[in-house]
Amino acid sequence: MTVAISVENLRKLYDRHEAVRGITFQVEQGTLFAFLGANGAGKSTTIEILCTLLKKSSGNVTINGYTLDASNDNAEIRKSIGVVFQQSFLDERLTVYENIMHRGKMYGLTKATLSENYQFVNKYLHLEDIEKKKYGTLSGGQKRRADIARALIHRPSILFLDEPTTGLDPQTRQFVWQTIKQLQEDSNMTVFLTTHYMEEAAMAHKVVVLKQGEIVAEGTPDELKTKYAYDQMALVFQDRMQGMEWLTGLKLSYSEKQGIFTVRLDSTLQALGLLKQCEHLLASFEVIKGTMDDVFIHIMEDGGIEDGGVNQSSSAQLQGVYSR
Amino acid sequence: MEALTSLVARNFKVFTRDKTGVFFSFLSVVIVIVLYAVFLQKMQVDAIKQTAEATDEVVTMVNEWLVAGLLSIIAVTSTLGVFGIAVKDIETKATADFLTAPVSRATLQLSHVFNAMLIGLSFSVIGLIGCEIFLVVTGGQWLSLTGFLNVLGILVLSVLLASVFNTFLVLLVSTQNSFSTLSTIVGTLIGFLCGVYVPLGALPSFAQHIIMYFPISHTTMLLRNEFMEDSLQNVFAGAPVEVVQEYKLVYGVTYKLHGHELSLPTSYLIVGLAIVVLAILSIMIFKRKHR
Repeated sequence: MTVAISVENLRKLYDRHEAVRGITFQVEQGTLFAFLGANGAGKSTTIEILCTLLKKSSGNVTINGYTLDASNDNAEIRKSIGVVFQQSFLDERLTVYENIMHRGKMYGLTKATLSENYQFVNKYLHLEDIEKKKYGTLSGGQKRRADIARALIHRPSILFLDEPTTGLDPQTRQFVWQTIKQLQEDSNMTVFLTTHYMEEAAMAHKVVVLKQGEIVAEGTPDELKTKYAYDQMALVFQDRMQGMEWLTGLKLSYSEKQGIFTVRLDSTLQALGLLKQCEHLLASFEVIKGTMDDVFIHIMEDGGIEDGGVNQSSSAQLQGVYSR
Repeated sequence: MEALTSLVARNFKVFTRDKTGVFFSFLSVVIVIVLYAVFLQKMQVDAIKQTAEATDEVVTMVNEWLVAGLLSIIAVTSTLGVFGIAVKDIETKATADFLTAPVSRATLQLSHVFNAMLIGLSFSVIGLIGCEIFLVVTGGQWLSLTGFLNVLGILVLSVLLASVFNTFLVLLVSTQNSFSTLSTIVGTLIGFLCGVYVPLGALPSFAQHIIMYFPISHTTMLLRNEFMEDSLQNVFAGAPVEVVQEYKLVYGVTYKLHGHELSLPTSYLIVGLAIVVLAILSIMIFKRKHR
């Protein structure tokens, strides 16, 4: 496996605020890499540095073997990357085709290559219905298709996507994901995306979780799930006091909110034994499987599961389950 | 190079397809035409009547005077309007998308300057054709071939000057709000600074000095000389030299600065120097901005 992006101790200092605090990671060629984090975690700053738009304060970055900010290397980096931004930056009064071609010409490609590339991009993004329309008249989903086509027109080996599906309807989101996944598989492209959607991160080969400019977790989605997500059981007792006594007697750690007791499980099957024991006390129960959402919430809220307690945010979610 | 031409083509399309934007960048041109139709023409003809006979030739000469002012204003306002795209690109961060491709900020900036020249020249030539038709329809003569080529040459110079002048001004603003303020100020002042809204001689002497030190007004003056050359001779045929001289000074056909009459070559030199100085200043500011 070759390394497409290598980041070493990267820092970015704005006037007083340190947005990125010494992060180190690698992205392998041909993989889908997800950068996960809440708003303001430093995702966009990092992506802007990698795309040569923002100067780093310190650290080393190599992209496709070229050293970021070394003489002439940035131009080489720019040739091999495509970027889809959070917002759309194409010209409203130009058609989709004009937009893509004008931007494509900035890469110094011949007309033949450019139209060949357009055919290739068209296969994935199905631009036929929108290519003659003015960009400004398109719907959000159509715009996104054009944006991705523009980012791919020079056939980059690395595609950066900064929260590509924020603000899109579920159907378009699905389309964007499938397209990205397919492109990555078909042409062995490296995809680097930032997101705060768990489902989006779950399809990546590797996930790095960023919190306040620092990496707080990394691994495959499965690894993260095993480490940070756990099953829980929610119990509602006929008599609140009796239930509480029973739980205390078992020395189980629990949290309570409006009569709903939440217990953390070591495994899903553990629930069976517990339920049998307290069957006569119960009014209702639910077993909740751990998801990628938990990974995010646990890492973000309390920096992992070390403290053992069930955190506020999970309870709030459970409440949501009950009130439905 | 390909990137630059493609960028210029993109800027050109983005500007010309915004019909209201194009219209508003010509607002001051429309104002001049209205002012002229309402009273400027009559005022001048009446003034000349007192010294020379009011004939059709007088009207033609006054029309030519207007056309010269109109064309020099077109060069300024059209090139300024074009920079609206540059400011918008930066504020909406569209520039970021261009910068992910292997093009430099300098190339982006140059693409806007070249587009300004292209738009300025196109609209100046369209303006010239329109003005010529207007002059002939109202009883004037077509320009001779040499006269036409001279006018074209002056228009190229005035578009160059207006482009670097506006490049310089726009480098000082960074938001669309401040840009529209700048456009309003330039659009309002340019008619005065070129002595088109009000004849030079009607202003107090300090204002006359400001106009004569303002390089763009020299392109207006050079155009007046080209357009009015024949008419001046016809209208003031047989009139004393002092009368002709007086008219030329009052209507800004000749500049007299600190007691010296400026020759036409001096005006060309001033225009040329202004282009060079403003270009150097612009490059310096640009470099400071993007260190």
